[in-house]
Amino acid sequence: MIEAGHFAAFLALVFCGLQAGFGLRGDRVRTGLFALLGFAAMGFAFFTLLWAFARTDFSVELVAAHSHTLKPFGYKIAGTWGNHEGSMALWCLVGLGFGAAGAWLMKSDRPTFEARALGVQGLLSLGALAYLLFASSPFTRLDPAPLQGQGLNPLLQDPALAIHPPMLYLGYVGYSFVFALAAAGLIEGRIDRQWAKTARSWALAAFVPLTLGIALGSYWAYYELGWGGWWFWDPVENASLMPWLIGAALMHSIIVTEKRGSFSAWTALLAVLAFCFSMLGAFLVRSGVLTSVHSFAVDPLRGSLLLIGLLVFGGAALLLFALRAPKLSGGPPWTATSREGALMGNNLVLTVATFTVLLGTLFPLIAEALGQTVSVGEPYFNLTFTPIMALALVALPVVQAWAWGRAELSSLWKWAAGFAGIVVLFWLAGIGPLNIPLLAGIGLALGVWLIFGAAQEIWRRAKTVSRLPKMPMRVWGMTLAHAGLGIFVVGAVLQTSGRMQTTLALQEGETQPVAGWQVRLENVSSIEGPNWYAERATLTATRGGARTELQPQKRYYPAARMPTTETAIHKTGMGDLYVALGDGRRNETGETRWTFEVFHNPLIDFIYLGVALIGIGAGLSMFGKRTRTKDQQA
Amino acid sequence: MKSLLASLIILFAAGGQAQAQLDDPEQEARAQDLMREIRCVACENEPISNSGSDIAADMRERVRTMVADGMSDQEIRDWFAERYGEFVLFRPSADGPGGWLLWGAPFVFLVLGGGLVLFLRSRRDRGADGTVQPVDPEEAGSP
Repeated sequence: MIEAGHFAAFLALVFCGLQAGFGLRGDRVRTGLFALLGFAAMGFAFFTLLWAFARTDFSVELVAAHSHTLKPFGYKIAGTWGNHEGSMALWCLVGLGFGAAGAWLMKSDRPTFEARALGVQGLLSLGALAYLLFASSPFTRLDPAPLQGQGLNPLLQDPALAIHPPMLYLGYVGYSFVFALAAAGLIEGRIDRQWAKTARSWALAAFVPLTLGIALGSYWAYYELGWGGWWFWDPVENASLMPWLIGAALMHSIIVTEKRGSFSAWTALLAVLAFCFSMLGAFLVRSGVLTSVHSFAVDPLRGSLLLIGLLVFGGAALLLFALRAPKLSGGPPWTATSREGALMGNNLVLTVATFTVLLGTLFPLIAEALGQTVSVGEPYFNLTFTPIMALALVALPVVQAWAWGRAELSSLWKWAAGFAGIVVLFWLAGIGPLNIPLLAGIGLALGVWLIFGAAQEIWRRAKTVSRLPKMPMRVWGMTLAHAGLGIFVVGAVLQTSGRMQTTLALQEGETQPVAGWQVRLENVSSIEGPNWYAERATLTATRGGARTELQPQKRYYPAARMPTTETAIHKTGMGDLYVALGDGRRNETGETRWTFEVFHNPLIDFIYLGVALIGIGAGLSMFGKRTRTKDQQA
Repeated sequence: MKSLLASLIILFAAGGQAQAQLDDPEQEARAQDLMREIRCVACENEPISNSGSDIAADMRERVRTMVADGMSDQEIRDWFAERYGEFVLFRPSADGPGGWLLWGAPFVFLVLGGGLVLFLRSRRDRGADGTVQPVDPEEAGSP
């Protein structure tokens, strides 16, 4: 079976070559055909891998190295992409999938352009497939087959992390198609309004799963690692944040190109960069050049091959860009205080923020090359990335109402007064009843300001309540996403400034107060799961009349010889009471005392709600009603 | 006898509590903030606030002791940097060319980028500012 899959993957490689060849020659029909055939072949190849994992066929080397007979069935399946080779196979599958979707869905009156885009996509897939087959083949047999496998990294045996990689890859690899569209547009020298119309849908199709994938990863880190936080500025996290930020910039810049024909060179550059940052992320994560708490499947040789791929594809695209960008035509003139200016400001901030994340992530490497060892972590990003992003967030509600070309500025003072009012309100509330630091007060004000701004913008467009439901999906999408940003800011600020961490050491039957709760340790018992055993503490927490039971576990997976924490979280609506079980220690009198890390995280769900709204909003804005014919003639 | 034993346990419990946590909530909050900036020397890229290793527990206790002794945040950071090397701080120093690059570059790029945008725009549309007319966003198909 796996040999058939191996053969099918080679067949997909050949189809990709044909797709690239016919595509670059401009033959739309044949290119589309080979794109579909390539996807079908790769689909079968991936299915044979899934099948091998589902049947726990240890004669396949990959299965023997990453699976185990006792593992639950769902994680056997998810184990297919829980390792380097399998995840690269998924990468190829998604890449070919986007090619096939493009061949299926693109129906413009420019067949040559479409063929070229599919051709470039074929080239990218060809590179990925060659890397899969010649440098990290998952289709290798193992003879003799072992009786037992080595098991999947227990940290990955979790529902959120089973679907996190496919989501993330839909985003990363989705940008490969945006890259292909940009390359084709640059080859033809036409990055115009019609190009932007096509590319915008694909850019959103990549942005939405990337957003949700990052959110899932963050939520997983929150409840699985037992550290009580949701973002650690770890290199692996930063690797996913960079393409997201560039993708967000692209999503805004492409609107200007679509509506006005301006920013065409800049939009093309961002379209190229989004995929370059995706590949850079894959390189950073897989090569092991950076130390990370959650890097897996590290191999320097494979890493350097990824780097070469990045340099070849990225370099070629940037060269093409440098040759063609000067010839791209601009749109009508605009002043700094216009919608164009506002979106340019958005792009400037997002690009500089991306650069800051890149610098902070790579700086330890640069310093190491110069003979110093330096760590860059949360404090650095809080003092650079956060204020830079805050600039854009303060401006957003004001400038989103600006007109194209030149804005009417007479109401600017009202906005300034409104913002000052909100800040003062939260500052007073901060020193008074809320008792939070000044900066947190300003942060909260900013979040509320964004939510207010989103509501104000849709009201400005609708003017009456009866017209609200009739607003186009695009406007609703934008409103939801911007409101989501505000909700995210509120959650992030409250969590960062209001979180409380306490270490408890309890004996059975003992009670201690923490964060307003009385926490009592009832007992600690040993339990057993399908492929793990655990110590499980049972705690009761009471506050006022409320009473809840918490059962954090410390699991041990014998197959991987690895412990994991299973936290217990009680949601109160206003925040999470979060308990992670630590070690049990016997003291001098022979009593065993268990340590617990207890966190109180106020409103942390706002963070995930906000990010989900950003994803949903971006998704909704894909389904705009068709723009009037007047626009299409341009 | 039983009550004596019980009081002993309570004494122990109180002792354990004091070790784990500072009594003054403000000092405790400061100590926790510092623990998020200090890297565990035995782990992969983890602050001591998160790490379960013994050395991280020792380092946490050291931070609390120093905060309780009235040392300033900077004094505590310097103490750790001197003892374990600059590597131990997640907030790298801004001294030297490397520090300037790391801390200054984002803001320099923001200013330079903004300047470049304005320069390119004014060069392209030289003299056009006065003639640019606002466009009704509804008509141009918003947003």
